[in-house]
Amino acid sequence: MAEESYVEKIFTFKFPTCTTNQEYTLEIPLKIPYRGSIKELMHRIMTAFKLPCYVETDLLKALEQAVHELTLQFHDEQAEKLIDAARKGTLDIEDIIKNWEKIYKQKTVEYAEPVGTTDEELFAAAYHKLVHSPSLEPILQAEHEFGKAVTEVIQTRDKDIERLTKQQTEETHMAVETLESGSTEKSINEMTARHFEEQSLLQGHWGSRVDALKLEQRRQYRNWIMRLLEEQQTNMLPTPVSSPMIPMLPMRPGFYTINNNEDKNTAEFPQLEESFTTHVGSQMKQMHNIRILTGDVLDFCRTKPNNSGMDPTPQRLQTALGLYSNDLCGLVVLSDNHVGSYSGITKELCSICQLTTEFHFPPIDDQLEKIREDVKEAVAWRQAHHREGSDPQTKKSTTSKSLQTGDVFITRHSNLAQVHVIFHMVVHDSLRSGDINSRHPAILGLRNILKLACSNDITTLTIPVLLVHEMTEDMTVEWCTKRAELVFKCVKGFIIEMASWGRAELKNLQFLVPKGMSEEVFGTLATMLPSIFRVSKSLVFKASSNPQTPKK
Amino acid sequence: MCPTLLENEDRCLGGMTFFAQSHPIELCGSNGLPLTPNSITIYGRSQFLKTINHPNLSTYLDIIRSKHERTIVVAEYSGESLTNKKNLSLDSIVKIAYQSLLALQHMNDVGLVHRHLSPDNILITKEGNVQLYNYGLYYMTNGGKNVSFPIGYPKYTAPEVFLGTKVSGIKVDSWSLGIIIAECLLNQPIWPGVKLAQCLRKVLSLLHSETMIFERLARENNCYDTYQAVPQELRDLVDSCLQIYPSKRKTPAELLQLPPFAELLKKDAKEREENLYKNVIVRKMDELYYLWQLAGGDITMELKKQGMVRSRPPILSIPNLIILIGQMFGRRDTAGLLDLRVVKVPLDTLRQRLSHIPYTANYPRLTSQMHVQAQDDLTDAASQLPLIIRERDTEYQFYRIVLYDRLLQIYPITREAIIREAHKDIPPPVRGAVWAALLGIKGDIQKRYDMIDKETPTHTDRQIEVDIPRCHQYSELLSSGAGHERLQRLLKAWVRDNPYYVYWQGLDSLTAPFLYLNFNDEARAFACLSAFIPKYLHKFFLKDNSAVIQEYLSKFSQIIAFHDPQLANHLKSISFVPELFAIPWFLTMFSHVFPLHKILHLWDKLLLGDSSFPLLVGLAILKQLRDSLLTSDFNECILLFSDLPEVDIELCVKDSMAMYQKTPGSITYRRHQFDQSKAMHWTEPEPGTERMPRISIDDLLNLLENTPDQVIIVDIRNNIQFERGAVRGSINIPFTSVQLSQTDINTLGPHAQPLADNKDSIVVIIGPHDQNNALFADFLVSCGVMGVCSLQGGIYALRSKAARILVPTR
Repeated sequence: MAEESYVEKIFTFKFPTCTTNQEYTLEIPLKIPYRGSIKELMHRIMTAFKLPCYVETDLLKALEQAVHELTLQFHDEQAEKLIDAARKGTLDIEDIIKNWEKIYKQKTVEYAEPVGTTDEELFAAAYHKLVHSPSLEPILQAEHEFGKAVTEVIQTRDKDIERLTKQQTEETHMAVETLESGSTEKSINEMTARHFEEQSLLQGHWGSRVDALKLEQRRQYRNWIMRLLEEQQTNMLPTPVSSPMIPMLPMRPGFYTINNNEDKNTAEFPQLEESFTTHVGSQMKQMHNIRILTGDVLDFCRTKPNNSGMDPTPQRLQTALGLYSNDLCGLVVLSDNHVGSYSGITKELCSICQLTTEFHFPPIDDQLEKIREDVKEAVAWRQAHHREGSDPQTKKSTTSKSLQTGDVFITRHSNLAQVHVIFHMVVHDSLRSGDINSRHPAILGLRNILKLACSNDITTLTIPVLLVHEMTEDMTVEWCTKRAELVFKCVKGFIIEMASWGRAELKNLQFLVPKGMSEEVFGTLATMLPSIFRVSKSLVFKASSNPQTPKK
Repeated sequence: MCPTLLENEDRCLGGMTFFAQSHPIELCGSNGLPLTPNSITIYGRSQFLKTINHPNLSTYLDIIRSKHERTIVVAEYSGESLTNKKNLSLDSIVKIAYQSLLALQHMNDVGLVHRHLSPDNILITKEGNVQLYNYGLYYMTNGGKNVSFPIGYPKYTAPEVFLGTKVSGIKVDSWSLGIIIAECLLNQPIWPGVKLAQCLRKVLSLLHSETMIFERLARENNCYDTYQAVPQELRDLVDSCLQIYPSKRKTPAELLQLPPFAELLKKDAKEREENLYKNVIVRKMDELYYLWQLAGGDITMELKKQGMVRSRPPILSIPNLIILIGQMFGRRDTAGLLDLRVVKVPLDTLRQRLSHIPYTANYPRLTSQMHVQAQDDLTDAASQLPLIIRERDTEYQFYRIVLYDRLLQIYPITREAIIREAHKDIPPPVRGAVWAALLGIKGDIQKRYDMIDKETPTHTDRQIEVDIPRCHQYSELLSSGAGHERLQRLLKAWVRDNPYYVYWQGLDSLTAPFLYLNFNDEARAFACLSAFIPKYLHKFFLKDNSAVIQEYLSKFSQIIAFHDPQLANHLKSISFVPELFAIPWFLTMFSHVFPLHKILHLWDKLLLGDSSFPLLVGLAILKQLRDSLLTSDFNECILLFSDLPEVDIELCVKDSMAMYQKTPGSITYRRHQFDQSKAMHWTEPEPGTERMPRISIDDLLNLLENTPDQVIIVDIRNNIQFERGAVRGSINIPFTSVQLSQTDINTLGPHAQPLADNKDSIVVIIGPHDQNNALFADFLVSCGVMGVCSLQGGIYALRSKAARILVPTR
């Protein structure tokens, strides 16, 4: 922003002396408009020039008068310069009008296009109200039923595809074996082409079926929610209307088998976990709950069906209640710079998201598509803004067409187990092994995430503390402790930084450690926490003769 | 029947809200620290508006900063806006113009430009008086720089404003007022139903007008007849406002000198004189607002009810992408439009809460001792309640404020009464003034402060600049630009005013509470600081303050040993000395350790005690950490203090008060304390040489006279001397009979049992030699005996001062 404009003027003050007939003349430069106290200026002048005290009143008056007049003059001149320019036509009046019109229309309610509440907001308000009413149970039940229907179709699809693949593999096998006797290279090629066609046909078939089902479900669901609200408002019904589950899909209970192997997987390693209540900040202390636990990052997304598969899981309840509240749950996932669903962790995440219908936000594919568009804009922005950066590393990052380490893209979900918002932080493979310091882009990315979390009411955030998702052989104990210490300390610093503006909302912080970490190393990391974050004093009850109420 | 307190109260609260502009990307200021959010800048700047007090300006009461850069402004809102008034008589138009100009003139005097004048912002009260509303928007947003929306109504804005982005001078308001008066005189809106762009074009086309603007407007509006009916002097008035060239346009002050206002000016002067003693008991609006909040009023809730604070679920506003440098993309944010609607809130909540209080309670009768009987009954009954509860009780606070208000009005003759009341509690709104009274501030402090040069650079500037952005920055006030600026001025002023002292880090923390309480009164903050430092931190800010601090800390060690020998023994065993943790405590009087809201409660009591009180506060903090300290080794202790755990401040205050009362004054005498009246004949050994404090003969005699059962006297002379004459009831343990290496009280024999059982008595050691006294005292502490001290001057002091109490023991 440009320096405030001012002019320098000379203030002249004359006063007589008692002893001689001479007149003293003072010349003092003044900055107009004058900021600050004129009285103080007067006193400064008095001391600086050792003026006799009898001029004090006169000097003050003269100063005040001069500042007043000069300021008026300053503003008048400024304004008149503009007015003359406008009258002469050197200022483009039409341009000015257009600009002001734009500002008024963009920034004030009075002139802005009247914007009603968007559908999104309307639905959000309706849903939020309903889940905090007796309708909660039927809603969850309906969501669950819907979800099950999709999952079933997807399972059938997977089976179908598996069957086809198996059949094709056998066929190919046969053909290759009989290469000499019956089939020719050509026929095999033809067969492969046919296989491919069959595959894509099947994929397409199922794809459209799933999409159609989801679309239909979404429509039904959203209509039902709005209807539910209407009815609840008109009838004040204590019990909600029945669920929208039109017997469109036959229910086949006991179909769930998919997650069995998953369960086994988690059973391999014991779940380790420890929590603390901490205070950070030097004078004003902020309280946070800090948890360190082992687990797979995707476990926060997967809805684990309970045995019967008939009832929604309790985690869903929590997520539904919090969806449009000011207590959101966020998760940091480390991703590569392909904002796509074809590979890596993003692919796995997508398949989890797609197991059920997303009723509130665009489907994950659409969200990623939108992000890819934003990436283009971001790349352009980066190039436009940091051309002058001489340091080679920034140069490299600005010329690249894709996202860089430390950039974060964000998706929103309503159908996952424990999270609403996923921060996909782009990281490079080198993060797996190398040493990093607090200026590393991944750490700075973490800072952006925390900042965003604080300003968007994400009050629970899960961070992979080692900045990796899986344990590998070359991660030594020293490496783990060093990395964890860095992340702990930086996160602590960031929390204090956010709190300094008095708006840190982050209440729960979870540090996630990859599955398979030894109990010993986990223990080391866990003991590090209370020494880095100040743990609140535990309440000590002392046996004493007169009962005391504990004070907070 | 006396009317109840707020029966005739028409004044209302007005709430409005807007968003500050958020900083585009991660920027850093010139000092390398992140930029202060604009909402905080606005918060700091707007504090000044609260000081504006003029009958024709609505009082600013509160500025609230809430989430996502939202600012909520609360001000008085009385009457109806001019927009709703039609067919005004000429007289009332003149009156409106006159009072608006008075308001504008006052604004200009304090350096404000309205820039936002419109009929919506001119409120007409029931009595027909004008109150300008929302006149601070241009000022608090730093000329609109901190917000993204434009300030000013297109139709009423002076044309030059649209031409550039320069700061507006005071004459833009004359133009706006001119248009408003013209509309009133023509009795119809100018350019009715005109679209925004057209309106802007019309305003700008006036630049080319060759005729008088008023006439032209009348013609454009097809009401030339009405125009001609307007008296000439009013036409002149409007013309003086609506001059294209600002140099020809008159300022509000000049406009007031025009003929239509001559009579009103005369009448006003007369009325002011007559009304000098009327209506003295109208409660100030800020007090009512404070009580209204206590009674459950919440302006944010009111705004929400009216749909002014639309809470969009946060999940709908999260961006898609945030790149490393902090720039966000795909943000779905629609908030941020300026909505100028004002929510008018009557004080009903408060009225109901105080409905049983008669109006006369506003002005209780003070007795000759500056005393109100009803207050004593009230405070006595409430004294058992925790301070937090008392501070939240509407009625209690009402009575307290009324009393303090009376006392403060005639301060300083009421200083004694204020001190007495302060012992009970201090209501938050008057705390700044009460503290000043407790510190004995009087006289022309403003002039004194004005005379100090705060601008000339000095060599401490650099350090001050570094410290300020780290001083209590969680507080919105102190982290704002205005806060930084004022703190810097205060610190520079203090350094300049105390040439014998230097700036030590910590002075910033020490100044913070005073600035926080007197944010709009730097002079008082400065006066408080200047009085506080000699009282509690005499000589701490010397360039070489090591001797002072050493003495203070060794006194602190003695106090620990005196009150808690077990802790003292443990700390000694791990050689954990106060030098390692307590210097910032005492150098900043705990203001570096605690957040502001705790410091306020702590200093409420601190200011009532003398310079020894802080020692006991330190001890009270240790007491809360006692259990962890007793089980910690040296390293753990260092860690514990490096990041001090949460301290329960109310308990801390209570403990320190209790211990302060149990500690004889002479125990805490220091050679470097400011008040030397009592310590005059005090000869203390070199600090650090004796582990236990000494007690003066006067204090001992006092104790013997008033609470003899609270004193155990141990005479360590030999039996013969003891039998010849000793204090009645004293225990004789000849020094020569004690094996100092055996730190077990039981080795002294059965007659030492009272020492072992001692809970809260003071153990005074009397002997012939100071050295032996000290050794024996040290021994007793090692045995875990509480309250040990030795008599200054030993038996000789006793003989010379009060030989009569020495009686033969056989």
